Amino acid sequence: MIEDVQSLLDEEQEQMFASQSRARSTRTFNYDTYHTLEEIYDFMDLLVAENPQLVSKLQIGNSYEGRPIYVLKFSTGGSNRPAIWIDTGIHSREWITQASGVWFAKKITEDYGQDAAFTAILDNMDIFLEIVTNPDGFAYTHSKNRLWRKTRSLTSGSSCVGVDANRNWDAGFGMSGASSSPCSETYHGKSANSEVEVKSVVDFVNDHGNIKAFLSIHSYSQLLLYPYGYKTESPADKDELDQVAKSAVAALSSLYGTEYKYGSIITTIYQASGGSIDWTYNQGIKYSFTFELRDTGRYGFLLPASQIIPTAQETWLALLTIMEHTLNNPY
Amino acid sequence: MLWITNIAWKMCRFGELNQNASQEVTLSMVVADPENQINQKKERKVDLVFTTELYNPEEGNKRLGKCSARVFFRNEKPRPAVNVTCAQLIEKKKRHEEDYQLYKRMKQLQNPVDVVSIPDNHGHIDPSLKPIWDLAFLGSSYVMWEKTTQFLHYYMAQLSRVKQWKTNDDAIDFGYTVLLHEFSTQEIIPCHIHLVWYPGKPLKVKYHCQEVQTPEEASGTEEGSAVAPTELSNF
Repeated sequence: MIEDVQSLLDEEQEQMFASQSRARSTRTFNYDTYHTLEEIYDFMDLLVAENPQLVSKLQIGNSYEGRPIYVLKFSTGGSNRPAIWIDTGIHSREWITQASGVWFAKKITEDYGQDAAFTAILDNMDIFLEIVTNPDGFAYTHSKNRLWRKTRSLTSGSSCVGVDANRNWDAGFGMSGASSSPCSETYHGKSANSEVEVKSVVDFVNDHGNIKAFLSIHSYSQLLLYPYGYKTESPADKDELDQVAKSAVAALSSLYGTEYKYGSIITTIYQASGGSIDWTYNQGIKYSFTFELRDTGRYGFLLPASQIIPTAQETWLALLTIMEHTLNNPY
Repeated sequence: MLWITNIAWKMCRFGELNQNASQEVTLSMVVADPENQINQKKERKVDLVFTTELYNPEEGNKRLGKCSARVFFRNEKPRPAVNVTCAQLIEKKKRHEEDYQLYKRMKQLQNPVDVVSIPDNHGHIDPSLKPIWDLAFLGSSYVMWEKTTQFLHYYMAQLSRVKQWKTNDDAIDFGYTVLLHEFSTQEIIPCHIHLVWYPGKPLKVKYHCQEVQTPEEASGTEEGSAVAPTELSNF
């Protein structure tokens, strides 16, 4: 009886402490630590409140378990301008990606009007940033299993939970490079876009109609990848994509010397079907890239929080390179 | 091909640097690109050269040695044969000293050590717990090598549940569960590992991994590509 009361008190104190230490502005927000879903969603609201002319928050759907799925829109005006899409956290255990996404969001608001090259980008294009692409999985990594990767959808006829959201897209769906077993980490789901987390993005991209670069962020391995993952055939724009990747990686390395490799998914990492950038490329979004951030296996998914800011900083340089190329090469 | 160097340095570390358990070895880079050779007997041979460094955040990078290795897979089976030579820059005496320091630190730890999760979910390892991680990594390297094929390669994701208890002969008797991350399937594989260590003596490793049921994976009883080196076989 007494033990129960104690744990209740402990929990209450933890919550009070949490609310006291909750950031009241994006200036006091801790970028060098990992955050919960609630903290990241609070951050988004703060960022919008502080930058109402530049940032807005869009809800593109609800997760399987009913959590809102948000995308931040950065825009200086115009109507349906050509846009850059960036997503982080599609695989929930890759915590460095959501953490970097938060940092990117702040960086955008800091650099617009201050950095000439970036200002030119945002004066002509919009940026869409989905920080927590898989909110159910992310919540689960905090509450139950730090190494959870998939969504949290239930599969009828199986006791296993979840679909690999990056095997669920309609590009080579169900082919070699994904698993048909619901218990597997790379389970593709019962059909393409069966996952609401994926369908929400697909619908958004189709409705928008003017996205020119699609950048999906994962960890780990330190790679910059372009299509395809589901087949060995090279994309028509292979030479250009390879050149862009080369420049982006050089920019990234220039900051801290972090070494990246680049190439197509299938030749550089492994065969993977139903992946996001294969679908977006096939839809005509030429500049479709996947990042695998730090590290190369020493800490893997459990990258120390002290590496969040350096990782985000160096990755931003690569993103800038791609965004600039997109701006300067309209199609 | 970076993952191939991963196996080679694990072997290097486990075999050669078994004498030097306290040093954490980090593969720095491949100097010569590995040559991809598959012959008629379905053997796959990879030659590579790499350097190893001591990574200690407080002391900065210290070059330990340069290694060259040949990794040899046969019939897509696990336990590749690894022929590795590392030219050690740190002399044997110093390595033994540092091993003994690690041993002392482990002995001084609260007994039994009953720790959950190293690193914690935020990637942090308390400095007092680092020796545990080092030793666990050593044992895990052996297990990872045993399971590695040309298609399956492993990383140590996290230590969960650690138990240390004394033995009569004062060796470190150390049981733990390690979560291995297999890269091509993205699976997390829990392995229970029991190792017994005394500085200067070969590490003894016993383990049991929860196997994921996939057709490509070799079973634990299947013959590997390599005969295990003799200094590892006394367990």
